[in-house]
Amino acid sequence: MVIDDSSAMRLILGRIMRGLGFDVVEAPNGAEAIARLQSGAMPEIALVDWNMPVMDGLAFVNAVRKEEKWRQITLMMVTTESEQSQIVRALAAGAHEYVIKPFTPDAIADKLALLGVLAY
Amino acid sequence: MTYIPSADDLEVITREVWTSFLDGDPDGLLPGETTPGAEEVTGCVHLSGAYVGSIMLRCSAPAARYAAAALFSMQPTDVTQNEVVDALGELANMVGGNVKSMLPGPSALSLPSVVHGQLAVPGAQVVREVALSWRGETLVVSLWQQAAQAA
Repeated sequence: MVIDDSSAMRLILGRIMRGLGFDVVEAPNGAEAIARLQSGAMPEIALVDWNMPVMDGLAFVNAVRKEEKWRQITLMMVTTESEQSQIVRALAAGAHEYVIKPFTPDAIADKLALLGVLAY
Repeated sequence: MTYIPSADDLEVITREVWTSFLDGDPDGLLPGETTPGAEEVTGCVHLSGAYVGSIMLRCSAPAARYAAAALFSMQPTDVTQNEVVDALGELANMVGGNVKSMLPGPSALSLPSVVHGQLAVPGAQVVREVALSWRGETLVVSLWQQAAQAA
Protein backbone atom coordinates (compact mmCIF):
# COMPACT_ATOMS: atom_id res chain seq x y z
CA MET A 1 0.00 0.00 0.00
CA VAL A 2 1.34 3.41 -1.00
CA ILE A 3 -0.02 6.27 1.11
CA ASP A 4 0.91 9.74 -0.12
CA ASP A 5 -1.11 12.86 -0.88
CA SER A 6 0.93 13.50 -4.02
CA SER A 7 -0.39 11.53 -6.96
CA ALA A 8 3.03 11.91 -8.63
CA MET A 9 4.71 10.28 -5.64
CA ARG A 10 2.11 7.50 -5.54
CA LEU A 11 2.82 6.88 -9.21
CA ILE A 12 6.59 6.77 -8.66
CA LEU A 13 6.44 4.55 -5.58
CA GLY A 14 3.77 2.35 -7.14
CA ARG A 15 5.95 1.83 -10.20
CA ILE A 16 8.92 0.88 -8.03
CA MET A 17 6.86 -1.56 -5.96
CA ARG A 18 5.26 -3.17 -9.02
CA GLY A 19 8.73 -3.54 -10.50
CA LEU A 20 9.72 -5.42 -7.36
CA GLY A 21 6.80 -7.78 -7.78
CA PHE A 22 4.22 -6.29 -5.43
CA ASP A 23 0.57 -5.66 -6.14
CA VAL A 24 -0.11 -2.06 -5.18
CA VAL A 25 -3.09 -0.24 -3.72
CA GLU A 26 -2.94 3.49 -3.11
CA ALA A 27 -4.43 5.97 -0.68
CA PRO A 28 -4.05 9.78 -0.63
CA ASN A 29 -4.03 10.09 3.16
CA GLY A 30 -4.05 8.06 6.34
CA ALA A 31 -7.82 8.11 6.76
CA GLU A 32 -8.44 6.58 3.34
CA ALA A 33 -5.74 4.01 4.02
CA ILE A 34 -7.46 3.06 7.29
CA ALA A 35 -10.76 2.79 5.39
CA ARG A 36 -9.13 0.39 2.93
CA LEU A 37 -7.79 -1.72 5.77
CA GLN A 38 -11.19 -1.75 7.44
CA SER A 39 -12.74 -2.94 4.19
CA GLY A 40 -10.42 -5.92 4.13
CA ALA A 41 -7.18 -4.90 2.45
CA MET A 42 -4.24 -6.52 4.21
CA PRO A 43 -1.00 -5.27 2.66
CA GLU A 44 2.30 -6.88 3.46
CA ILE A 45 3.86 -3.44 3.65
CA ALA A 46 2.68 0.16 3.72
CA LEU A 47 4.86 3.01 2.46
CA VAL A 48 3.67 6.03 4.42
CA ASP A 49 4.24 9.72 3.80
CA TRP A 50 4.27 11.94 6.88
CA ASN A 51 2.70 15.27 5.86
CA MET A 52 -0.74 14.56 4.48
CA PRO A 53 -4.15 16.21 4.88
CA VAL A 54 -6.99 14.60 6.88
CA MET A 55 -4.78 12.07 8.67
CA ASP A 56 -1.01 12.32 8.60
CA GLY A 57 1.44 9.44 8.47
CA LEU A 58 2.27 9.42 12.17
CA ALA A 59 -1.42 9.26 13.08
CA PHE A 60 -1.82 6.41 10.58
CA VAL A 61 1.07 4.48 12.16
CA ASN A 62 -0.43 4.99 15.61
CA ALA A 63 -3.86 3.85 14.41
CA VAL A 64 -2.48 0.71 12.76
CA ARG A 65 -0.37 -0.23 15.75
CA LYS A 66 -3.40 -0.04 18.06
CA GLU A 67 -5.13 -2.84 16.16
CA GLU A 68 -3.98 -6.40 16.78
CA LYS A 69 -5.37 -7.54 13.43
CA TRP A 70 -3.04 -5.15 11.57
CA ARG A 71 0.08 -5.96 13.56
CA GLN A 72 1.59 -8.00 10.73
CA ILE A 73 1.69 -5.00 8.38
CA THR A 74 5.22 -3.71 7.93
CA LEU A 75 5.28 0.09 8.03
CA MET A 76 7.92 2.14 6.25
CA MET A 77 7.85 5.93 6.37
CA VAL A 78 8.80 7.56 3.05
CA THR A 79 8.91 11.25 3.76
CA THR A 80 10.76 14.55 3.64
CA GLU A 81 10.66 14.76 7.44
CA SER A 82 14.34 14.27 8.13
CA GLU A 83 14.77 15.76 11.62
CA GLN A 84 16.22 13.14 13.92
CA SER A 85 13.50 13.80 16.49
CA GLN A 86 10.82 13.08 13.89
CA ILE A 87 12.50 9.83 12.83
CA VAL A 88 12.64 8.75 16.47
CA ARG A 89 8.93 9.61 16.91
CA ALA A 90 7.93 7.52 13.90
CA LEU A 91 10.02 4.53 14.94
CA ALA A 92 8.75 4.80 18.53
CA ALA A 93 5.17 4.83 17.22
CA GLY A 94 5.79 1.55 15.43
CA ALA A 95 7.22 2.29 12.01
CA HIS A 96 9.82 -0.31 11.04
CA GLU A 97 11.92 1.73 8.65
CA TYR A 98 12.39 5.27 7.45
CA VAL A 99 13.32 6.54 3.98
CA ILE A 100 13.92 10.22 3.36
CA LYS A 101 12.84 11.81 0.08
CA PRO A 102 14.44 12.13 -2.39
CA PHE A 103 15.19 8.44 -2.71
CA THR A 104 16.31 6.08 -5.43
CA PRO A 105 14.55 2.85 -6.40
CA ASP A 106 17.58 0.99 -5.06
CA ALA A 107 17.20 2.68 -1.67
CA ILE A 108 13.59 1.47 -1.46
CA ALA A 109 14.61 -2.06 -2.51
CA ASP A 110 17.47 -2.13 -0.01
CA LYS A 111 15.17 -1.12 2.86
CA LEU A 112 12.59 -3.72 1.83
CA ALA A 113 15.30 -6.35 1.78
CA LEU A 114 16.44 -5.28 5.24
CA LEU A 115 12.87 -5.66 6.44
CA GLY A 116 12.68 -9.13 4.99
CA VAL A 117 9.77 -8.35 2.67
CA LEU A 118 11.92 -8.53 -0.44
CA ALA A 119 14.23 -11.42 -1.24
CA TYR A 120 17.33 -10.71 -3.31
CA MET B 1 22.69 32.92 16.42
CA THR B 2 20.50 30.94 14.02
CA TYR B 3 22.35 28.96 11.36
CA ILE B 4 20.90 29.65 7.94
CA PRO B 5 21.72 27.22 5.12
CA SER B 6 23.73 28.85 2.36
CA ALA B 7 22.66 29.38 -1.23
CA ASP B 8 25.00 26.51 -2.09
CA ASP B 9 23.06 24.30 0.36
CA LEU B 10 19.82 25.20 -1.43
CA GLU B 11 21.42 24.33 -4.76
CA VAL B 12 22.79 20.99 -3.54
CA ILE B 13 19.37 19.97 -2.16
CA THR B 14 17.55 21.08 -5.30
CA ARG B 15 20.07 19.28 -7.49
CA GLU B 16 19.58 16.07 -5.48
CA VAL B 17 15.80 16.26 -5.86
CA TRP B 18 16.05 17.03 -9.57
CA THR B 19 18.56 14.26 -10.19
CA SER B 20 16.50 11.70 -8.27
CA PHE B 21 13.13 12.42 -9.80
CA LEU B 22 13.33 14.57 -12.91
CA ASP B 23 16.16 13.85 -15.26
CA GLY B 24 18.81 11.76 -13.56
CA ASP B 25 21.46 14.23 -14.71
CA PRO B 26 23.37 15.96 -11.88
CA ASP B 27 24.54 18.54 -14.41
CA GLY B 28 21.02 19.22 -15.66
CA LEU B 29 20.70 22.29 -13.45
CA LEU B 30 22.89 25.25 -14.42
CA PRO B 31 23.35 28.71 -12.93
CA GLY B 32 20.38 30.86 -13.91
CA GLU B 33 18.69 34.23 -13.62
CA THR B 34 16.36 35.30 -10.84
CA THR B 35 13.63 36.41 -13.22
CA PRO B 36 11.69 33.45 -14.62
CA GLY B 37 9.55 35.51 -16.98
CA ALA B 38 5.99 36.62 -17.41
CA GLU B 39 4.26 33.38 -16.52
CA GLU B 40 5.40 31.71 -13.32
CA VAL B 41 4.38 28.98 -10.90
CA THR B 42 5.43 28.93 -7.25
CA GLY B 43 5.41 25.98 -4.87
CA CYS B 44 5.76 26.80 -1.18
CA VAL B 45 5.98 25.12 2.21
CA HIS B 46 5.93 27.00 5.50
CA LEU B 47 7.92 26.25 8.63
CA SER B 48 6.78 26.93 12.16
CA GLY B 49 8.54 26.26 15.44
CA ALA B 50 12.17 26.99 16.20
CA TYR B 51 12.45 28.48 12.71
CA VAL B 52 9.57 30.49 11.27
CA GLY B 53 9.65 31.00 7.54
CA SER B 54 9.05 29.44 4.16
CA ILE B 55 10.80 27.65 1.34
CA MET B 56 9.67 28.59 -2.13
CA LEU B 57 10.35 27.03 -5.49
CA ARG B 58 9.48 29.49 -8.24
CA CYS B 59 9.82 28.63 -11.90
CA SER B 60 8.57 29.51 -15.33
CA ALA B 61 5.35 27.91 -16.48
CA PRO B 62 7.21 25.79 -19.08
CA ALA B 63 9.61 24.54 -16.37
CA ALA B 64 6.62 23.61 -14.20
CA ARG B 65 5.11 21.66 -17.12
CA TYR B 66 8.44 19.92 -17.79
CA ALA B 67 8.72 18.98 -14.12
CA ALA B 68 5.18 17.60 -14.00
CA ALA B 69 5.77 15.70 -17.24
CA ALA B 70 8.94 14.14 -15.84
CA LEU B 71 7.31 13.13 -12.56
CA PHE B 72 4.22 11.69 -14.27
CA SER B 73 6.15 10.22 -17.22
CA MET B 74 4.11 12.18 -19.72
CA GLN B 75 4.69 14.61 -22.56
CA PRO B 76 4.78 18.25 -21.39
CA THR B 77 1.93 19.07 -23.76
CA ASP B 78 -0.27 16.45 -22.10
CA VAL B 79 0.01 17.48 -18.43
CA THR B 80 -2.99 19.05 -16.74
CA GLN B 81 -3.03 21.96 -14.31
CA ASN B 82 -3.77 19.52 -11.48
CA GLU B 83 -0.63 17.58 -12.36
CA VAL B 84 1.44 20.79 -12.43
CA VAL B 85 0.09 21.72 -8.99
CA ASP B 86 0.75 18.23 -7.62
CA ALA B 87 4.27 18.14 -9.03
CA LEU B 88 5.35 21.62 -7.89
CA GLY B 89 3.85 20.96 -4.48
CA GLU B 90 5.74 17.72 -4.04
CA LEU B 91 9.00 19.23 -5.32
CA ALA B 92 8.62 22.16 -2.89
CA ASN B 93 7.85 19.64 -0.14
CA MET B 94 11.00 17.63 -0.85
CA VAL B 95 13.27 20.66 -1.13
CA GLY B 96 11.64 22.24 1.92
CA GLY B 97 11.87 19.13 4.04
CA ASN B 98 15.56 18.79 3.37
CA VAL B 99 16.23 22.48 4.00
CA LYS B 100 14.28 22.15 7.26
CA SER B 101 16.69 19.44 8.42
CA MET B 102 19.49 22.06 8.31
CA LEU B 103 17.57 24.67 10.29
CA PRO B 104 17.10 24.91 14.05
CA GLY B 105 14.47 22.47 15.27
CA PRO B 106 12.05 21.28 16.14
CA SER B 107 9.95 22.82 13.41
CA ALA B 108 6.80 21.70 11.64
CA LEU B 109 6.46 21.62 7.88
CA SER B 110 3.16 22.69 6.34
CA LEU B 111 1.41 20.99 3.49
CA PRO B 112 2.61 22.52 0.21
CA SER B 113 0.69 25.20 -1.60
CA VAL B 114 1.06 26.14 -5.25
CA VAL B 115 0.09 29.40 -6.90
CA HIS B 116 0.34 30.72 -10.42
CA GLY B 117 2.55 33.78 -10.17
CA GLN B 118 4.83 34.93 -7.39
CA LEU B 119 4.10 34.52 -3.72
CA ALA B 120 5.07 36.86 -0.89
CA VAL B 121 4.81 36.01 2.78
CA PRO B 122 3.64 38.96 4.90
CA GLY B 123 6.25 39.94 7.45
CA ALA B 124 8.90 37.66 6.00
CA GLN B 125 12.01 38.32 3.97
CA VAL B 126 14.24 36.31 1.68
CA VAL B 127 17.38 35.28 3.54
CA ARG B 128 18.83 32.91 0.92
CA GLU B 129 18.13 32.48 -2.77
CA VAL B 130 19.60 30.53 -5.64
CA ALA B 131 18.71 30.88 -9.31
CA LEU B 132 19.13 27.92 -11.60
CA SER B 133 18.40 27.05 -15.18
CA TRP B 134 16.80 23.78 -16.22
CA ARG B 135 16.16 22.93 -19.86
CA GLY B 136 16.65 26.61 -20.65
CA GLU B 137 13.99 27.67 -18.15
CA THR B 138 14.54 29.48 -14.87
CA LEU B 139 14.05 28.02 -11.42
CA VAL B 140 14.50 30.06 -8.24
CA VAL B 141 14.68 28.47 -4.78
CA SER B 142 14.40 30.81 -1.83
CA LEU B 143 14.42 30.54 1.93
CA TRP B 144 12.31 33.08 3.80
CA GLN B 145 12.38 34.02 7.44
CA GLN B 146 9.92 36.02 9.49
CA ALA B 147 11.44 39.47 9.93
CA ALA B 148 10.89 39.44 13.70
CA GLN B 149 12.97 36.28 13.99
CA ALA B 150 15.62 37.47 11.56
CA ALA B 151 16.19 40.68 13.50
